[in-house]
Amino acid sequence: MNSRDRTPPEKELKVGFGSLIETRTFEVPAGDAPPWDATTKLSVVGSDADRADGRDKASGRAKYTHDIAFPGMLQAAILRAPIARGLLQNLDLEKARSMPGVAAVIALKEVGKRVRFVGDEIAAVAAPTLDLCRDALEAIVAEYAQEGHTVDFLFADGAPVLDEQGDITDPWPDAGEELTAAFAKAKTTVTGTYRTEVQTHASMESHGAVAKWTDADLDVYMSTQATFGVRGELSQAMRAAGLQCKSVTIHAEFVGGGFGSKFTAGAEGRAVALLAHAANAPVKLVLNRFEEHTCTGNRPAALMQFRAAVDEQGAIIAWDQRSWGGCGHNGQGGGIAIPDHLLAKAARRRERAHQDLATDADPARPMRAPAHPQGFFGAELCIDELAAAAGIDPLALRKQNDAQPLRLQQYELGAERFGWEQARAAAAEAKQDQHARYLRGVGCASARWGNLGNDGRGRGDGPGHGAVCRIHQDGSVEARSGAQDVGTGFKSVLTNLTAEELGIRAEQVRATAGHTTDPSGPAAGGSTTTASLAPVIRHAAFLCKQELAKKAAEHLGVAADSIVFAAGRLSAGDTSMSFGDACKLIGPNPIEMRGERFPNYKGKVFERGVCGAQFAEVEVDTWTGIVRVLRMLAIQDCGIVVAQKPAESQVLGAMIQGIGFALHEQRILDRQSGRMLNGDFLRYKVPGALDVPPMEVIMQSVANGHSNCSAAGLGEAPTCASAAAIANAVFHAIGHPVRRLPITPDKVLAALHQRGGK
Amino acid sequence: MRPFSYIVPRTLSEASIAAKKPGALLKAAGIDVVDRMKERKHDATELVSLLPLKDRLATIASDGLGVRIGALATLAQIADSKDLANAAFAALRESAGIAATPQVRNRATAAGNVLQLARCWYLRSSDLQCLHGRDGTSCLAMVGDNRYHSVLGYLDCVRVHPSNLAPALLALGCDYSTELAGKTTRRPLRDLFPTEPKAEADEHTLLPGEILTAFHVPPQPMGARSAYRESREKLSFDWATTAAAARVVIEGGVIKEASLVLGAVAPVPLDRPDAAKMLVGEKPSDELFVRAAQRAFVDARPLSHNGYKPQVGMAVVREVLHAVTR
Ligand SMILES: Cc1cc2nc3c(=O)[nH]c(=O)nc-3n(C[C@H](O)[C@H](O)[C@H](O)COP(=O)(O)OP(=O)(O)OC[C@H]3O[C@@H](n4cnc5c(N)ncnc54)[C@H](O)[C@@H]3O)c2cc1C
Repeated sequence: MNSRDRTPPEKELKVGFGSLIETRTFEVPAGDAPPWDATTKLSVVGSDADRADGRDKASGRAKYTHDIAFPGMLQAAILRAPIARGLLQNLDLEKARSMPGVAAVIALKEVGKRVRFVGDEIAAVAAPTLDLCRDALEAIVAEYAQEGHTVDFLFADGAPVLDEQGDITDPWPDAGEELTAAFAKAKTTVTGTYRTEVQTHASMESHGAVAKWTDADLDVYMSTQATFGVRGELSQAMRAAGLQCKSVTIHAEFVGGGFGSKFTAGAEGRAVALLAHAANAPVKLVLNRFEEHTCTGNRPAALMQFRAAVDEQGAIIAWDQRSWGGCGHNGQGGGIAIPDHLLAKAARRRERAHQDLATDADPARPMRAPAHPQGFFGAELCIDELAAAAGIDPLALRKQNDAQPLRLQQYELGAERFGWEQARAAAAEAKQDQHARYLRGVGCASARWGNLGNDGRGRGDGPGHGAVCRIHQDGSVEARSGAQDVGTGFKSVLTNLTAEELGIRAEQVRATAGHTTDPSGPAAGGSTTTASLAPVIRHAAFLCKQELAKKAAEHLGVAADSIVFAAGRLSAGDTSMSFGDACKLIGPNPIEMRGERFPNYKGKVFERGVCGAQFAEVEVDTWTGIVRVLRMLAIQDCGIVVAQKPAESQVLGAMIQGIGFALHEQRILDRQSGRMLNGDFLRYKVPGALDVPPMEVIMQSVANGHSNCSAAGLGEAPTCASAAAIANAVFHAIGHPVRRLPITPDKVLAALHQRGGK
Repeated sequence: MRPFSYIVPRTLSEASIAAKKPGALLKAAGIDVVDRMKERKHDATELVSLLPLKDRLATIASDGLGVRIGALATLAQIADSKDLANAAFAALRESAGIAATPQVRNRATAAGNVLQLARCWYLRSSDLQCLHGRDGTSCLAMVGDNRYHSVLGYLDCVRVHPSNLAPALLALGCDYSTELAGKTTRRPLRDLFPTEPKAEADEHTLLPGEILTAFHVPPQPMGARSAYRESREKLSFDWATTAAAARVVIEGGVIKEASLVLGAVAPVPLDRPDAAKMLVGEKPSDELFVRAAQRAFVDARPLSHNGYKPQVGMAVVREVLHAVTR
């Protein structure tokens, strides 16, 4: 009988956090590991154990896709269109093919097809050296019928008209009765137009792969966020190309970031597999930084208009918005998401007023908390403007309107830790000095993401996601998943949960991730990996534990279910043995068990997602318009914190990306050529070591009650708040909002000027 | 990079003769040169390395009261040099010490820094053809995105001079020495930069095969001080958006001599003698510095995207004048 068919027993769990803990009842599937809750004492999970692969990464032992090499391996490169829009009229590969040393040349676009942006793929070559590849690309004759292009979305069809200040001039569309009435009742109303620029993913490791055929079996080492997704994609592509392809195996043991840009194999992934087949040799194709910036997706630009109102009591009673997304040639993916939890009391527009605008540029791809940082920036700044206009402290306004109890606690804790009141007062006081060169400001914003993972069963009822635990005779333990660790710390999730279950130290467990020969997991997106796989990993260890307990029970002469695994020992009453000694009973074949992902528990979970609040203090140089972030604080939950250090590191990374989005990062396309002007790391400015101020992260471990370990995702949530908190701090410092990111000196000087002129 | 011959000279004159050949290119640390070659923006048939001559060309040494900075001295050497510890030389230490990143500063040479190609994103692109170097027919930055480009002193090409070190060396009134086929010449540093920085003019006036061997910082009187300040959006791994170096001699609380040189705002490092003259005979004051800064930018002609630069540049001048008189 399948364990899922049994009637699940009901179980009482303590869920929540701190003073919010309460008892709730859940249906817990039979056969699963017994659930942890807010009262469970854990020793490895949540401890400050080092990142599982930290030493390998810091020492260079970790081999990324870029480091993979095979004897006889060839290099590859892609010919890309130099025009933003037009038709490919002619493509002659013959001269390149006949060059000595060139092993393969393939077309990636058919003659007659459209060129959609500068960088669109035309053809690819493989040769022993990159320089020979480039020579071959130069020998390819590609002719285009060029057409006029638009790379600035504000000039695309359907873009609204802006005045000199950048404000939308068209009147609001009819708001409907309820919203109109709410605005009429308001004490204070504000309105503003907000804008963000295109941000690229800027992963440390660019897109790339090494493809190697052995007869009809294809091995691909790829920097990817979706090992199982690209496996399917590539086998389909190989079949479509008419190739004999028995199996495709993806390897992504180490991945240098993806942030949403690496869900597909892409043209480069398909090209490298086809080139390797054509050349009959392993081929490596890695994109250079310019290609990475210009051809692998981005967070699209956003233009947003908000209006908001409070009543006498400080309740946000009306909220209106319309928005446009500045997208690439497919005109998709430009939506925005705002902090709805702050607007629970507000009347809202019924129908969504959003339009995606197409430009002749690289299309958007999901990027860390898609839609959120741009929408949160605009909405949270608008809320601060509302607070200022109504004479209310912005934190107080949030506390009064936020619908989520956990975040209310986070505001309290944050205000205390950050010294909110003192810092706000000190900044305001310093502003009294008319001659002060530097202004200070303090701001905050909220974070939100809703995802508690999935079981991987999809529509059918086939086997879901899995994980493997292995215990060997020599006492070594393996935890394995075919899902990838994109740098988020998934390997620590594997080691920590396994060690916790077996009562051993995290260092005793070796984690392996990213080979599709192991059981599947989801793509690393939407903060789903940990939430989806943590319960399976724990379940696999739990099953192994039961097997080992059986062997030890015989040896110790006790009942297997009386054995407790803790502190490196197996104990039952007064008798015990070390974990190592127990393993000696295993024999040559390791204990190997595959965990099962049971569906999320039925019952009222504490939170359907995760909450956070962030605080920032900035300094504005009134002479040069340069903004520096002085310090930041994040308070964040992610369900039960499985791995403390990688979790903190996720939040720190989000804040650093937030500084970049707030102050520096923007894709700059040349209007005339359609080409990216700053497609490098010199002019595409990501924060450097000196630009990162002291940052504090407080992780809150929250038992949600949705799975055996209550792990929720973390990648996206903290990304929502950082740029918004910084923009609010800048508003506080200047007394005039900068409604356009990035907040560069020209915009700051203009805001200072406008404030002066008021 | 395309194939090239790598020349390892034993003497300066060997290097000079090799570098004189058409298609040859000098390489110091190569940070700029190798980048350009990798991007196929510049194809050298022969690359002449100067590093074998490091023994002789990389020292910083006091001669009399002045200091000789070897062309191959690194930015890190300059930033930490005991021979440049005097307040009179602070501009050199400061400008070298905040350029780029520690890794770059440990390799980048003084000559390479002053002679590096402009960082204009049109000019540097191997896919675009602009007026510079006569590749194309117009200055793309003039009508394109010019947020980091010139506001002063430009003609038909609006690139800016990127070197941190050059304004400081100029403000201190340095000379430079070169070697061309066995002949040594010493000239004032201003001669190194074209007086008409047009698109077809190189960033510098050196002849083919002419090797910069040293900068000579003249002896400084009692009361001499210098300073360098710049504006940059990021604190590391970024370029100045505007920069200024100043030198003053102060006696009895009064400025007796002054010089002021701007960086990153014009195709060459820009001497501003009129602004400097306003300081002479005056006591330091913020009001005076604000006027001098305005004077330094009085003829600014911002382009379509860099209207903010004069204001930022004036702030940097005001700041450097405070720093140098503090
Ligand atoms: C990330 C980064 C950030 C940077 N930030 C800054 C910054 O903030 N400020 C700044 O000023 N610079 C900055 N730079 C530029 C860097 O300082 C220069 O590239 C470096 O100084 C060049 O020195 P080099 O010795 O490598 O010169 P090379 O690359 O070897 O040469 C540069 C040029 O000078 C010529 N040349 C070199 N030596 C001689 C000589 N003795 N005689 C005649 N010709 C010669 C070469 O032919 C070549 O044309 C940055 C660079 C990087 C990579």
